[in-house]
Amino acid sequence: MNTYKIIEIKESIFSNNDRQADKLREELKNKKTFLLNLMSSPGSGKTTTVLRTIEALKDEMKIGVMEADIDSDVDASLVAKTGAKVIQLHTGGMCHLDADMTKQGLDALEADGLDLVILENVGNLVCPAEFDTGSSKNAMILSVPEGDDKPLKYPLMFSVVDVLLINKIDAMCIFDFDIEKVKERVKKLNPNIKVIPISAKTGEGFDEWIDWLRNEVKAWKE
Amino acid sequence: MHELGVIIEVVKYVEDFAKKNKLTKIDTLVLQIGELSAMIPRYIEACYPAAVDGTMLQDTQLKIEILPANAICRECGSVFNVIQNNKVCPNCKSEVWELLCGREFMIKEIVAY
Repeated sequence: MNTYKIIEIKESIFSNNDRQADKLREELKNKKTFLLNLMSSPGSGKTTTVLRTIEALKDEMKIGVMEADIDSDVDASLVAKTGAKVIQLHTGGMCHLDADMTKQGLDALEADGLDLVILENVGNLVCPAEFDTGSSKNAMILSVPEGDDKPLKYPLMFSVVDVLLINKIDAMCIFDFDIEKVKERVKKLNPNIKVIPISAKTGEGFDEWIDWLRNEVKAWKE
Repeated sequence: MHELGVIIEVVKYVEDFAKKNKLTKIDTLVLQIGELSAMIPRYIEACYPAAVDGTMLQDTQLKIEILPANAICRECGSVFNVIQNNKVCPNCKSEVWELLCGREFMIKEIVAY
C-alpha cells in the first residue's frame, strides 16, 4: 500500500527568479556592463527619454538598448537610428520581464563590451515591480498627464526604484499635477529615492539625469 | 496576465523536486499566496489545468492558502490587517507601519507518495 506523506517545500516562487537575477548581476559586474531597468506606464515617454539619453552619452560610452514589448518593433527601429545597438524582445503576451528573459535578451544583443544597457521594460506599473531582472539599478518614469496620485495607486513600483523621472514637465501648466505632493508621497514609500523632473521633449532636467546615470555607470565599473 | 507564466515555473519546480526526491505521484500541491501579492488566486486556479496538462502534475489537486496582509504599527506596536483597516492603524490611527506578511507567493508543501 502506498502511504501519502506531506513534504514541506517552503520555496518562494520569486526566489528562483531572485537567484537568477543575482547571478546575472554578478556576471554583469564582472563584465563591467551597467544594466538599467527602466519601467513606466505606456505612453509616459520612455522611448523619447531613451533616445535623448543615448544622444547625451553616446560619445563617452558604448550603449545598447533592449526594447521589451508585447508586440511590434516601432520602438526598436527608432532607437536603431541613433546608432546604438538595439534588440526588440517580444514577451508574447507576458506583462513583465524576468531575469531569465533579460539574460536571453543580453545574449541576443551580444552585450559583451557595452558600458551601458538600457532595458525598456513592458509599459506597466504592476508586475515589472515584482520581478528582479538582474539590473544594476532600477528607474521609472511618471509623466505629468498620468496624475500625481500614481504613487498611491502603485506603491510597490515606487518603492523598488532607485530613481524617479517625472517626465513631460513642459506640460505641467495644463495639468492638475502637484509635483511637491508626488515627492512627498514617494519619499514616504521610499526615503532613498532620487526624484528628477525632466522633459524628454525640451531636454529640461537632463543634465541632472545624465549626471546621475554617468556616475552610476562609473561606480559600477570600479 | 502573468499567472500562467508563473504557474508554469511552479510546475517545473515541483516536477524537478519530485524527480530529485524520487516521488512517483503528487496528490496535492499547496500554494500560499499573500493578500498583497500580484497573483490572483482565482486566476491561478483558472490557468492551472493548462499549466499542468501533460506534466506529472496532471492529476494533482491544487490548494491555495491565503496569507493576510498584516502590519505592525511603528507608533504603538499593534498588529493589524492593512487591507481591512485601509492602511491606518486601528489603535492609534498612525499611517507609519511595517508590513509583516502579505506579499508572499510560496510553494508551501506537496502531498505525495
